[in-house]
Order: sequence, then C-alpha cells, then structure tokens
Amino acid sequence: MSDTLGVARPRLDAPEKVTGATRFAADGYVHGLLHARPVLATEPHARIRGFDTDATLAVPGVVAVLSAADLPLAGTGTDRTSEPLAREEVVFAGQPVALVVAETEAAAEDGAELLVVDYEPLEAVVDVEAAMEPGAALARTVEDSDDEGGDLESVHGQVDKGQEDDAGEQLSGNVLDRVTREQGDVAAAFAASDAVVEATFRTPWVYQAYIEPQVCTAWLEPSGTLVVSTSTQGSFVTRRELARAFDLPLDRVRVIAEPLGGAFGGKFALVEPLAVGAALALQRPVRLVLTRSEDFAATNPASAQVTHLKVAARADGTLTAIEARMIVDRGTNAGWGVEGATSLLVAGPYRWQAHDLRGYGVQTNRFTFGAYRAPGAPTAAFALESLLDELARELDLDPIELRLKNAVVEGDVGVSGNPFPTIGAVEVLERLREHPLWAQRNSLPDGEAVGMAAGHWPGAMEPASAVCRVDADGTMTVVTSVADMSGVNSGFAVIAAAAFGLPPEQVRVVTADTASAPYAGASGGSKVTYTVGPAVIRAAEAAREKLLAAAAQELEIAPGDLEVVDGVVRAVGAPDRSMTVQEVASKALRFGGRYEPIEGHGGSAQTSGAPSVAAHLSHVRVDRQTGEVTVLRHVIAQDVGRALNPALVEGQMRGGAVQGIGWALFEQLDHDEDGRLLTGSFLDYAIPTAERVPEIDTLIVEVPAPDGPFGAKGIGEAPVVGAPAAVANAVARAAGTRLYELPMTPPRVWQALRS
Amino acid sequence: MPDTVTLLVNGEERSLEVEGRTLLVHALRDGLGLTGAHIGCDTSQCGACTVLLDGRAVKSCTVLAHQAEGRDVTTIEGLAPDGELHPIQRAFVEHHGLQCGFCTPGVILTAADLLSRGGSPSDEEIRHALRGNLCRCTGYQGIVESIRAVGAAS
Repeated sequence: MSDTLGVARPRLDAPEKVTGATRFAADGYVHGLLHARPVLATEPHARIRGFDTDATLAVPGVVAVLSAADLPLAGTGTDRTSEPLAREEVVFAGQPVALVVAETEAAAEDGAELLVVDYEPLEAVVDVEAAMEPGAALARTVEDSDDEGGDLESVHGQVDKGQEDDAGEQLSGNVLDRVTREQGDVAAAFAASDAVVEATFRTPWVYQAYIEPQVCTAWLEPSGTLVVSTSTQGSFVTRRELARAFDLPLDRVRVIAEPLGGAFGGKFALVEPLAVGAALALQRPVRLVLTRSEDFAATNPASAQVTHLKVAARADGTLTAIEARMIVDRGTNAGWGVEGATSLLVAGPYRWQAHDLRGYGVQTNRFTFGAYRAPGAPTAAFALESLLDELARELDLDPIELRLKNAVVEGDVGVSGNPFPTIGAVEVLERLREHPLWAQRNSLPDGEAVGMAAGHWPGAMEPASAVCRVDADGTMTVVTSVADMSGVNSGFAVIAAAAFGLPPEQVRVVTADTASAPYAGASGGSKVTYTVGPAVIRAAEAAREKLLAAAAQELEIAPGDLEVVDGVVRAVGAPDRSMTVQEVASKALRFGGRYEPIEGHGGSAQTSGAPSVAAHLSHVRVDRQTGEVTVLRHVIAQDVGRALNPALVEGQMRGGAVQGIGWALFEQLDHDEDGRLLTGSFLDYAIPTAERVPEIDTLIVEVPAPDGPFGAKGIGEAPVVGAPAAVANAVARAAGTRLYELPMTPPRVWQALRS
Repeated sequence: MPDTVTLLVNGEERSLEVEGRTLLVHALRDGLGLTGAHIGCDTSQCGACTVLLDGRAVKSCTVLAHQAEGRDVTTIEGLAPDGELHPIQRAFVEHHGLQCGFCTPGVILTAADLLSRGGSPSDEEIRHALRGNLCRCTGYQGIVESIRAVGAAS
C-alpha cells in the first residue's frame, strides 16, 4: 500500500487521449442521425411575435423548424431545462428561440440563417445596480407559474443561506434573493479599530471556456427508452432534470456521461433538453453540437459581481470587523445564485469579531448565470485579500504574518455560525512564507513586485456508491457513475488498489450510465474524491472479504490469518502458502464454482466537510508605458489532505492558478449598453495562452481530512480562489496604485498609473 | 455539387465526396471517421483540429478539403502507424501533458511539427509554438515539460 498511494502516475485515460482513440460526445456514429442548429435571440429582451419559416423549410435537407410549442415539455417553468427554447419572452440576447433540424449539419446551418424571427422589443435591464432600484424595469415580465423549479443549486455545494433579511430596504422585483449574516456589534468594532479600509470591487462575467463545446445526442430505442449521450458533469442529475422537464419516468431515461472535454461547472443539463426535445418531437436521433460562438452566447458563465467591502484591524494585526454588500448579477437565472456563497466566503479562512455580510441576487438581461470553478469565491477573495494587503500596509505589517495571525484552525466558528473542521490555513501560509520568492520580494527591479493572497473552498458532500469487481484474469474493474472531470478515475484506481491489495496497473475504472451504475452525485463542488473515494474503499474491502473467504477454503487457513499483497493472497508470516488473486477469482467465476464472485459494493454519506486552502505568490512586471502586466513567476501552496497521485494534484493546482491568472488579467464577457455580447469568440475573449503564463511552482501541503479517503480532500476548486487577488496585490505593489476592477487589462492599468 | 477529392491520409490513399465548402476537418471527421481532430471553435483560435499537412501543422478548419487534394495528411490516429505510441505521445503520458484530452491531439501535432525542425527547443520556443493551441485544464506546464523531454532526448 505504501508504494501505491502518493506516487506520481500517468492518468488511466492518457494512452487513449494521446492517440485520438477517445470518443467524445460529438464523435460517435448514430444511424439516421439528424443535426440541430439553434437560432439565438438577437434581442436582449423582447416578446416573440412569430416566425417566418418558409425559406428555412425550402432548404434541401431541412426536416423541421421547432419552437418551444413543438417540444413535448411538461411544465411552464422558466429555468433552462424547463424552457430550453424561449416560449414567448426572450430574456437575453443569445437565448435559443428555435431549432432547425436537418439531415446534414450544413443544411441545418443554411436553414438557421434563413429563419426570420419577429420580435417586439422590450426595455432591456443591463446595469445590475440600476436594476435593484425601486421602479426599475423588470428583466422578466412573465411570472414563473411552475413551482417545480430546477434544483441545480444542490449539485454545486453546500453553502448555508444565511438569515432572512430584515426587508427594510426598498428594492425592485429584479432582486430575487437577499442573504444576510450578522453577528456582533460591527459599528463598535470598527470604531475601536486602529485601521479601517474600504473599497468597491468589480468583476465581469467570466466564461468557463472548456475547449469541447457543449454537445448532446439523443435518440429513442425501439423499446421507448430515451438514450442521452452527452458531455455532462452528472448523469443522474441530468436524468432527473430531463425526466422532470418532459414528464418521463426515470427508468425511461438513460443518460450516458461521455468523456468530458472540460466543464469547470458549466455542463449541467443545458443543451440536453434541446436535443431531447427535438428527438422526442421528431422521433429521430438528433445531435446538437454548439459552435463556439453559440457556446459563448447561449450558455451559463460566472456572474458579474459588485462588492462593497469594509474591514478593520487593531495595530497588532488582529482582524476585528468585516462589512460587505455584494451584488451578484444572476442574469436570467431565477433558480439560484452565488450571493449565498460569495457573502460567506468573503470572510475568508480568518477569525472576525463582528460581521455584517449581505448578498443580493439580481436578475438582468444577460446570459443565465452558471457555476464556474469555486462559484462566488475568486470574486470574494479578490476583494478581501486586496483589503487585507491595504491593512498590512497601513499597519506596517508583513502580509503573510497578518494572515497567519488571523487564520482559522479547527474549532474556530466561521461566519456561517458553524465551527471549521480540520483546515490547513496556517500550514499553507507557513509553507508559502518559506518559498525563496517571498524573501526576494524586496530586492526586485523597478516595476516588478511579488504579491500574495490566500483563498479556500469549503468542499461539498453527497451520498455516493461504487462497485468493485474482480475478473477471472485477476484484474479489478471499479464501476461508478462519476463523470471524470479532473482525473478522479485515476484516483479511484489507486484507492481501490490500496484497499484491496492489487498493483494499481491491474485496476481499471469504468463510468457506467444511469441504467446500471451505482449512484453518485454530479462532479462539482470538489466532492468526488472526498465522497466517492470512501465508497470505493468500502467496495474494495467488501470484494476483499469475498476473496479471503474463498482463499481461506482453498488454503485451509482462517481468513483472519490471510493478507493480500500485490495481487497475492498469502498466510501472514508464511508467504509461501499463497494463491494469486487470479487463481482465486478463476475458481469462483466458472460453471459449478463454489465461491461467490469476488465483488463488492460500497457506499458513503459524508457528514463533515473538508475545506481546502490554497495560497499564492505572484511575481509580476508592470510596463509603465503600456500598462501591460506580465506574470513572471507564480507559486501555489495548497492543503490537499493527502496527495493520492501528486502528478494529478499538481495538475489541478497549476490549472486552477492559471485560470485565476485569466480572471486577473485577460477575461471578460462584455456587453454593449443594449445588452448585446461584444466578446463572443476566442478572437475577442482572451484565455491564457502558453506564451502569456509562467511556470507555476507547486507546494503540496498535507493536513489529512479525518473522513477523507486515506486523508484526501477535494482539491479542484481551491487553487483558483486566491490567484486573482495575488496577482492584484502584486500589481498594486509594482504599479504603486491599486486596481479595483478585473481584469487588469493594459488600458485599465495605464489609466491607474496616470490617475 | 459534391465531387471527389483524393487525399493521402496517414499513408493511405482515401477518396471521398465533398462539397466545395467542406473543410478538411469535416472531411476527416465525417467522411473518414477520424474523430481525433476535434472542433473547439469556429474562428481558428483553439487549435484542437490541428493536423500535419505535408508534415507541417495546420488547423484543419482553415483548409478546404479540396485544397488538400493529393497532399499528405497526418492525423493523431496516424502519428504512430505501427500501433505503438510515438515518442511525443509517450512523453505526454509520462510527463502529464494532458488532462481532459480535448486539445491534446492538436497540441501533439503542433509539437510534432516543432520537433521535426530539429534541435532541442527552449521553453520559450515551445511556448511560442503553442500560441495557437488553447488548453484550459493544465496551465500548459505539463505540455511544455512533455515537449521539452522529447527535444532533450533527440
């Protein structure tokens, strides 16, 4: 076991992925397949008067033009699953209003271009702060009359909703949700502090930018079963959402989660209802592959956010009070928003004496908000960690020491009102402080600086199960329903190998579909390894019991006196009395065999969380002539609990840090004043390229989670959280002036340098 | 009107019917079933569809199938025709040069072009060569390390 865990190993799926053998969701051949092309609204807010379909239907190969009324939808809800095509009211430019379905992709595209949609424009709500004012125009005029709304919030993590607001504020009907967390006398705490800083921070809509666009294929089997082959983070949640939207029994919907070409929170039942609706309406297989431009315009990026934040400390650096008013632009998402998460996470992994934190979820006519890696956290950390640096500057304290002085430890009560479980905030900050870059920060050339920041993600939980099966060749297959978004399958292999006693090379992992897989929740919230991992351990242990029972009879030794090492069952203390796992399994798996198959089922229902903390050093150069910021070097230290496969852990840390650099410097979905998207392609929306990011140094810190598999924590989201703030703090030092809005593009930095 | 083009794909002569507007990537994927060339954008930014055309990396969404008439096309499926892994493919496995794998075929073929020019490219040269291949998962470091390892071994 000791040489199974903690060893850097290639991903299980790497050989298929480097040879082009992996079949992604757009790659499979389906007989009689039709191709759908969506027609996207050109108006941000309008009523649909009607369609002129004549020219479209005249295109050879076009089979049908479908509008909302043509899809066999069950309800009248306004979430994107219930209303995949706008019924009568368009609520953002880019919303699908019709599908053109044709025998070829080219015919569908030709047909879509010829469709004429007659709109009656309505006033568009584009400015999120103006949208909150009493009397503001509403972003949606049709009420959601369906109580059976979507429940996608539950898949993204457990963040408590805070207390209900006092409702003393006068706000428009665009404010869909208010979250308040108050404790202690905030005014008195500010008055008694030695330094008080406050500012308003702005962050834009940010796109997940998975390289595989959203895609789904749906067809009906002759039996009547609907099969959905799709790029999704969760097969069971997609099945539930589709069954609800189309009023189908669960067992008539079979969802296959194909290999994911990136997702990062964005792939949840968004395009599936379009392909399914068309397949049900036309009784033919239908594939919808979004073009990149459609994916930009029609999907569900991270919310834009405005954060007013005020924090204070005593002269010795003890943090006292925090007050936040956080406005989250949900776009058209009436179901959920990140106002709860962001107004919790803005307190960071620090102790406060008093707090007053408010979050507002506001609807506008921009996109439909969706999850993106650590939803609500990078924006919160950008504000908090910027102001912590300001406090350190005013009080002449070392920024890391200031944070260390206030970092939470197990048992400290957070602003949620609950005590923190085991958390490695102190260990991570101490490790970061030791990195040579921190010592070098005061001896850098003019225009260069090092900034630091921390961030955390609370993790999430959901019951899960797994199956382990040993075949007659002595290899094991682990079966789960998990969509492998981040390499979790490769983690399951070493977990099962260690728990059973096999070399990891003899373990494969299969993602089964909803017809046969044991249950697990969607991949999100950094919960897969933490919740499914223990289920895999228990499944492997259950299979091991079957193995020992059979081997005990074969070897005539009691099961308790046997051990399993490297694929061999042997007597403890007498290793020459042994059988291979293959020998035992082949005796069970045959006609007339006398032993139960070497298989096990295991489940888990975690009840204690395992937050992960990551802290960053970012070394930047600011060009005073152009305002361009270059990240020269970046360091991330993260508490991962236990690194089951350090290579994959480092991959998550580096990938998260680079996405954070994207938030900091490059990425924004911009609309014009009328609500039309200006940055709707990779020509206009910049994600980090190889040339524009540095090497990322990784420092793995291991503070084991008591309930994690071999101590492991969920690690995918924490690395992005503090990265934008670290870059911002570095820019503030290098430029001598702070920026309060992301991304820190050259024009903005240039302006700041001159103001 | 569809007409026939003949390409030398992964060492084999292949003829297929295409329209005048058919892009090479669509001919490879839909006409020949070579789905290792992925489509990640519609503006020739992402590089997921990169193939070798007469040995040079091109984005197969920027080439009409007709323009490839009679030319030598190597896709990810044909990089190691004997069923073994090509040294670049092996390096990506061993040096963790991929996560989701969607950009990977294009990245590897871009690397194949770079490394075919000889020498042992510096990290700066590798990153410059990759400027037309977007990866959202890895932060590029595993990719750079994989290519560097092949260059250093040659």
